[in-house]
Amino acid sequence: MRKEKSSELPFAIGIPALLWQVLFFYLPLLFIVGTSVILLAEDGSFAGLSFKSFGNFLTPVYARVIFFSLLLGISNTVICLVIGYPLAYFLAFTGKKFKNFLLFLLIVPFWTNFLLHVYAWFFVLEREGVVNTLLMRLGVIHEPIHFLNSVFSIMIMMVYYYLPFMVLPIYSSLERFDRRLIEASLDLGATSLETFRKIVLPLTLRGISAGFFLVYIPSFAEFAIPELMGGDKLMFVGNAISHYILGEGTGSLGASFTVISCTVLLLTAGGFYLLLNRLLTPKQRCDG
Amino acid sequence: MRSITLKRVKKLINGSPIIDDISLVIPAGKFFALLGPSGCGKTTLLRLIAGLEKLDSGQIFMGDEDISDCPINERPINIVFQNYALFPHLNVFENIAYSLRLKKMPKILIQQKVLKILEAFNLEGHIYKLPSQLSGGQQQRVALARAIVGEPDLLLLDEPLAALDFKLREKVLLELIELQEKLKITFVYVTHDQFEALTVADQMAIMNHDGTIEQIGRPKEIYEFPISSFVAKFVGTTNILPGTLRNLEGEPEIEITDLGKFKVDISQKKSWMSEGCEMMISIRPEKILITKKVAHNFSNHLTGHVHSIVYHGRSTQYNLILKNGMRLQVFEQNEEHFPQEVIDYDNEVHLYWQKENAVLLER
Repeated sequence: MRKEKSSELPFAIGIPALLWQVLFFYLPLLFIVGTSVILLAEDGSFAGLSFKSFGNFLTPVYARVIFFSLLLGISNTVICLVIGYPLAYFLAFTGKKFKNFLLFLLIVPFWTNFLLHVYAWFFVLEREGVVNTLLMRLGVIHEPIHFLNSVFSIMIMMVYYYLPFMVLPIYSSLERFDRRLIEASLDLGATSLETFRKIVLPLTLRGISAGFFLVYIPSFAEFAIPELMGGDKLMFVGNAISHYILGEGTGSLGASFTVISCTVLLLTAGGFYLLLNRLLTPKQRCDG
Repeated sequence: MRSITLKRVKKLINGSPIIDDISLVIPAGKFFALLGPSGCGKTTLLRLIAGLEKLDSGQIFMGDEDISDCPINERPINIVFQNYALFPHLNVFENIAYSLRLKKMPKILIQQKVLKILEAFNLEGHIYKLPSQLSGGQQQRVALARAIVGEPDLLLLDEPLAALDFKLREKVLLELIELQEKLKITFVYVTHDQFEALTVADQMAIMNHDGTIEQIGRPKEIYEFPISSFVAKFVGTTNILPGTLRNLEGEPEIEITDLGKFKVDISQKKSWMSEGCEMMISIRPEKILITKKVAHNFSNHLTGHVHSIVYHGRSTQYNLILKNGMRLQVFEQNEEHFPQEVIDYDNEVHLYWQKENAVLLER
């Protein structure tokens, strides 16, 4: 693999970012962990440590919440990968003159407010929306389909929103890809499919890996999209946390559930990291 | 072993021909060099043969078989790319084994073949290394090994020495010649370097900027008997003197304005030669004798003024000005430590050459 050039810039250049991280990430995190275990007396004074609030979540209901969040995160990531890779490939290799314009189209939604996207999708998916009207006119269906407030509408919005986070890192790894390697592989007798599997895919795994985590981590904890597109039917960790944190006197419950879900996220992301890393390390077999 | 035949091959890029109606036979089992200036389309021609580019018209035959529409991965032709195009995520062994694994060859056989070729190329110590951990010369050998391990009928080399330093180049050139003689595979070697082409080739073709082939022949034929001023100037160094052809029926001569008449040899009479026609002669700088003394037994004589002297080690280059203002270059071998006569700046010297050493060119 490529060796990173050692940076000659002084360490001090990272201090602003470091301060920002400590103030707005590490300190709040410490605060959350603290809140989850510290017991307070009536007058607000320190009354000892307790893991009691964690016990409330050891029920099948919350196991389901975490399970559905994992499912949401993984399925969104996989769908984004399956749609995003060919898109990135197309952009990098066949886009040619229109490449920059197409990339622009990909990120243009980021310029408008998130809520506008949600309303736009309402307009598309509602009972009298674009899709239903079209399907009725064409005679495919006779009764409007309930798209909204379902798993379907959640997934549509999730994939719609997270796709660029998958496409951009993969695009950048394909963009740098030396196309002569493809020619060399074909020349040595490989089919296009073999070339993709043996050359292109392994050499763009870094981009895939970056896209994977950029999509998986935030989509596991996503709460706005399930809230807006899914009605109240399904509960994910993001919704549970916001419910407790914003609720009256349930702050420590929210904090402990945050700690639990963060642990699950860390463990699963770590697992995926090890898996992808194994795929990334070149095989050193010579036994044939 | 099959020869390669190109029939009226044409390739357009953005509507203008980069390869224009080339017909060519590459004999089987020979070292064939394709020489041309940068941007003349020689790499495109190589890519057409490999199948990396599609023909716009014409055909390519391998023996009697038309391979024009044969997909790249089914042609028994391998290419060594200019930048080697080694797979960066595979180690040396896997790079070389790539084509064998695709053929689903038994593992034990793959191991045998790869180890054998690693040994032949002095790469045994680098089996587990990635391409990025190898030197330029080692990468070049891996690329070569990867291309020949599958025993193709034809090996295409696209400026394979361009990335190597000068000393290494000469060594690799000689290794390539040995390798070709051992394998008996047809090699097609693309280069813009006339020294490389003259060194390796059994046969060579000179391409020009119009995307056509100017001359095909053995290196010696090309160097000694170029058919155009383009070839004469591109392969080696030469002096081109324009003049008029005279006395075609008797002792033929070229008349050069303000310089005189010089004998020429027209035993190889060309159709364009006629009494009084405008033409040129090309004389290689090493074919001219430079001296201060009077010499005999030469067909032609001139006097010149030494303008500058460049010492090259094995030879010395004299730049002369003739009395009509034309310039002339002469190389003299430095055979002795102390030449008997010293030629210096501003000296008036005698120049002699034999009429057979002046090549007549159409103007």
